[in-house]
Amino acid sequence: MNRFHVLIVVLNLFSLVGCVSHPQSAEEFRKAVPGAFSATVETFEVDRPFGQVASTFQKMGPNCLSKTIKTTSRTTTSYQVIVTTYKPTVLVRGKKAELHVQQHHEQGVINVSKEPAGGYYLLVADAQPVTQTKTRIDLYRPSMGHSVLIQAVKNWATGENVGCPDLTK
Amino acid sequence: MTRFSPRRLLEKRCTHGRRVAVTLLLCAASLLSACSGIKTYENNFNKNLHVHTATDSGSWFSRVHAAVDIHRVGEDCALDYEGTVELTGPATEIGIPPDRRSYLVFVFNSFSFFSNRSGTITYETLVKPRSNHHYDAAASYKNDLYHVMIREIPPDRSASRELDRLALSSCRSSSDRK
Repeated sequence: MNRFHVLIVVLNLFSLVGCVSHPQSAEEFRKAVPGAFSATVETFEVDRPFGQVASTFQKMGPNCLSKTIKTTSRTTTSYQVIVTTYKPTVLVRGKKAELHVQQHHEQGVINVSKEPAGGYYLLVADAQPVTQTKTRIDLYRPSMGHSVLIQAVKNWATGENVGCPDLTK
Repeated sequence: MTRFSPRRLLEKRCTHGRRVAVTLLLCAASLLSACSGIKTYENNFNKNLHVHTATDSGSWFSRVHAAVDIHRVGEDCALDYEGTVELTGPATEIGIPPDRRSYLVFVFNSFSFFSNRSGTITYETLVKPRSNHHYDAAASYKNDLYHVMIREIPPDRSASRELDRLALSSCRSSSDRK
C-alpha cells in the first residue's frame, strides 16, 4: 500500500465517519468549500479584461479538460490503475464567467457517496470584471493535490504560460 | 593447413554467442513492438507539417516522451491508424496527405522513476491540409503543462493563421449534415 492508497482510504473514511454527502451542483460546491477539510477558496485579481479571461476559459476548458486519463502506479507489492474522466463546463452569462471541473472515476476508486451527473465537483472558478482592465477570480479548489490543474486555471486567468495541465500528475 | 588455436576457437564461440544474442534481442524487440500496436508512420508524402518540439520533465527523476499518431479519417469518420512519428528532436518533418482529413494525436508520455508512476496525456485534432500549404506545429511540455498549436502558412508565406482544435465529433456532425 503506497501513500496514495493511504490518502484515498483516509479521505473515504472521513466521508464515512462524518456522513458527508458531496455537493451535487456548482452552487452547493461553492457553499461547501469554505468549511471543507480538503478544499479552500482563493481570491485574486488579474490585470486582464474580463472578456479575455472568459474567452480563455471557453477555449482552454473544453480543449484541455474533456479527457479520460489512465494512470498506473506500481510498487513491489501493488499495481494500481485509475481511470478518471474529467468534465469541464464553461458558462458565460453577462458579467460572470464560470468554469466548473468535475471528475468521475471509471476504474480504481470506490465512491462512497452519491455522485452528481458528470462526476464529483473538483474545482469551480468564477471570473467577474472589477474594472475595464482587471478581473476578479474566485477559485474554489482542493487544498491538497491537483496542483497542476490549479496552476493551469490560474494561468488561463492571468494569460501567462497558457497551456493544458497534465492530468496524470 | 590451419593449425588448432584455442584462442581462435574462443573468439569464434564469442562471435557466435554475440550473433545469437543480437538475433534474440532483435526478435524480442520486434515481438514487443508488434504487441504494443505501435507502428512507424511511413512518412512518404511531401513534408508539409513541421513540428517543433520542446519537452522538459522538470526533474532528474522523470522523463517525458513526445510522439504524434496519425490516423486516416474515413468518409464515415472512422479512424484508421497509419502510424506514429516519434518527436525525439527539436524539429520533425512529417508528410500529411493533403485535401484529405487526418486525425493527429500528440502524445506526451511521462514516467517518474522515483514514484514508479507513468501517465499518458494526449492532444487530438482533426486536420485537412490544403495543397501547397505548409503547417507549423509547436508541441511543448514543461512544468507539467503541455501546449500544441498548429499554424497554416499559405504558399506565398503571407499571413498565417492558427488552426482551431477540431474534435472528432465535428467530423461526425459535418457528415450528418450531408
